[in-house]
Amino acid sequence: MGMSYRRYLNGIRIYGCSNCKTHLATIDSMISRAFHGQHGRAYLFDEVVNVIEGEPNDRVMTTGNHTVRDIYCCKCGRTLGWKYDRAYEQSQKYKEGKFILERNLLADVQ
Amino acid sequence: MRLTEPDQESGKSVQIDTVPEAGPSSLAGSANGYNGTASKHNGYATSYTNGTSKTTPGDATRGGRPEKHATSITQVSLPGSTLYDDSYVDREEFVRLVIQSLRDVGYIESAATLEAESGYTMESPEVAEFRRCILDADWVRADAALMRLGVADDERLWEAKFLISQQKYLELLEANKITAALHVLRNELAPMNVDSDSLHALSSLMMCSNPEDLRQRAGWDGASGHSRRRLLGDLQRYIPSSVMIPQRRFATLLDQARAYQQSLCLYHNAPMNSRTFSLYTDHLCDKDAFPRVTTAILEVHTDEVWNLEWSHSGNYLASASKDKTAIIWRVEHDKDPSIRDISPKFILRDHPYPVGCVAWSHDDSILLTAAEHHIKLWNTRTGLCVRSLEVHTDVVTALAWLPDGSGFISGGLDRKIIHWDADGKQRDSWGQSPIRVTDLTVTPDFTRLVAVGMYDAPANVPGPAAAASENGNQSGVGGSSENRVIVYDLVTKQPQSFIPVDGELTSVEVSDDSRYVLINRTPEGGAPCEIHLWDLELDRVARRYTGHKQSRHVIRSCFGGVVGSFVASGSEDATVYIWHRDTGILLEALTGHGAGSVNSVAWNPRNEGMFASCSDDKTIRIWEAPPVDLATASLDAAEHRREAHEADGKGKGKSRERWDGPLAAGTSYGLGSSSSSTLI
Repeated sequence: MGMSYRRYLNGIRIYGCSNCKTHLATIDSMISRAFHGQHGRAYLFDEVVNVIEGEPNDRVMTTGNHTVRDIYCCKCGRTLGWKYDRAYEQSQKYKEGKFILERNLLADVQ
Repeated sequence: MRLTEPDQESGKSVQIDTVPEAGPSSLAGSANGYNGTASKHNGYATSYTNGTSKTTPGDATRGGRPEKHATSITQVSLPGSTLYDDSYVDREEFVRLVIQSLRDVGYIESAATLEAESGYTMESPEVAEFRRCILDADWVRADAALMRLGVADDERLWEAKFLISQQKYLELLEANKITAALHVLRNELAPMNVDSDSLHALSSLMMCSNPEDLRQRAGWDGASGHSRRRLLGDLQRYIPSSVMIPQRRFATLLDQARAYQQSLCLYHNAPMNSRTFSLYTDHLCDKDAFPRVTTAILEVHTDEVWNLEWSHSGNYLASASKDKTAIIWRVEHDKDPSIRDISPKFILRDHPYPVGCVAWSHDDSILLTAAEHHIKLWNTRTGLCVRSLEVHTDVVTALAWLPDGSGFISGGLDRKIIHWDADGKQRDSWGQSPIRVTDLTVTPDFTRLVAVGMYDAPANVPGPAAAASENGNQSGVGGSSENRVIVYDLVTKQPQSFIPVDGELTSVEVSDDSRYVLINRTPEGGAPCEIHLWDLELDRVARRYTGHKQSRHVIRSCFGGVVGSFVASGSEDATVYIWHRDTGILLEALTGHGAGSVNSVAWNPRNEGMFASCSDDKTIRIWEAPPVDLATASLDAAEHRREAHEADGKGKGKSRERWDGPLAAGTSYGLGSSSSSTLI
């Protein structure tokens, strides 16, 4: 795979991994705050960096059936949320390719 | 061995000026061929083809020689003024240089003979007098002699006189003759109207406590050193070179010829000596002596190997791996590959994260490793970790020892550049750099630090890289982050210049002459994949190297070869690329590593015919010239081996089996050979 450095973001507000402060996403790419994860509130982002994606699996959520992958911090390995590969409900299609980060696992970073 | 009285008398009749250093020459003369010279005196008169008469020493009739010698040399008159009919070389110039060369090496008699025979003199008695005065510190007469040497104008004459007085002043100071020195300063140097700065600098030398201090501060090596000769060289500028020939002029011209031949020698990797640069033929290095086959594969790391560095002794290689270890390998670089022992001397564990860089101290006693934000100091004799430094708050990407070995500088993605002493005590922090440092290097002349790095990606540009192509680690905000090279002044720690380079910069290496830096970058927006050779003096790209692949990973390059005339780089296509530095011509594309990136290459500092590469395939390869017996083996067989090797996919396991076998060395040399991919 080769050696690569983590990406660093630039913006008014940068969200990082609460454990190791790795940059993950900025407020500019946030789509919605109205999501829920295992640890309470969660945010939907258009774009997330420095995460490793797990294997896809199907999950039944309150908004229907989805194919998702868990995402992990590339530095410390903590599970941060998931990524939507596929939404089966037509109304939920907008989530495909987007990311969920759980608010309680995030910290503001520089 | 001494010349007898009559000889010296005869000498007077032909010698234009008697040089004090005649001693060794007369010894040489009598030892090799003086008799021969005497015996061919007839030849001199009739023919000017020197060196044809190889008469035995016995032929010389000792008794009658001196008289004959003195009388027999008649001037040969030749038509025209050039060396050959169709030559543009002026005969007088040529002969005078020959005379100078003969004198320089001590063939004083031959020089005198040539002067007599050709009618040209190396220099007038005035020049000889001037030279003698300078070398003997006869300053009064030197001044007088200078007046007769045709210095173009008064201004120049004063400048030349200033140089002489300056030498005189320094020598007096050195001899602790303060009063006399002061006299020179006041009455000779001060009235000459030089700029006040240099006069001030000279007068401040009065304060020197002892001769050693004086020599140090004046940058001058003393009366008994080379300073008088150097003064002569400096004075040369003021005297027409046809009057006083620049010192060692012939050698200078030969040096230029050598430099020219070397510039045409693409595979140049031979040390400079009389064997590799014979005057009889044009120099050309043997392409077969180029390191282009794998002579060893080092397989101990259990994950990707990311970085490499040779110890200064050339005997050890340090490797950094994703497997959270660094390994110090013992490599007997001066032994034949078939009997050489390469083994891990120490496996440096206890890194909490993958190891990204390694750096040897100047005496090779300490190895630094960096893993994420940790820096560790290891004792290379015991293999024990001496200190762990955790001042950086983000990945430490670069470790560079200072040229004097007094300490090192680390750089990181936290924008910090930190100066440590050799024990790992923090000396100084440079404050926040505008870039997140991805690599840095200190120039060997101790004046500059060159850092490369990245600015933060603007967040609102969603990039296509988000596609989960490779576990998503790189799924980045793929916007065009502005990247920069910053050249810092090492003394003031302030940026001297910013160099705009597109793409993500992943490595920087400085040339031995401190003038050029080699910068690897991942291209952006369809830009070609290039390594840049940046000229720090002229602030421009001096050369670009292309052919390798770098799109997303940290790939490093290095200078290599006996005069740093090669540029080698890793590549994402499992290949090592080597270019001719001055022309940018791709010399070699060496295959052999398994799938993935070749992450770094490192040229052995003591063995110009050896380098190492490390790869995602978890191995390190040592590359050298093919052994002589194999180089002559049939190409077909080598090609066949290579194909067989490639056919087994990664090829790694196979190669190891071959290497472990008793006949391994003999059979596996062809492995990394790139007979088909040499591109010139």
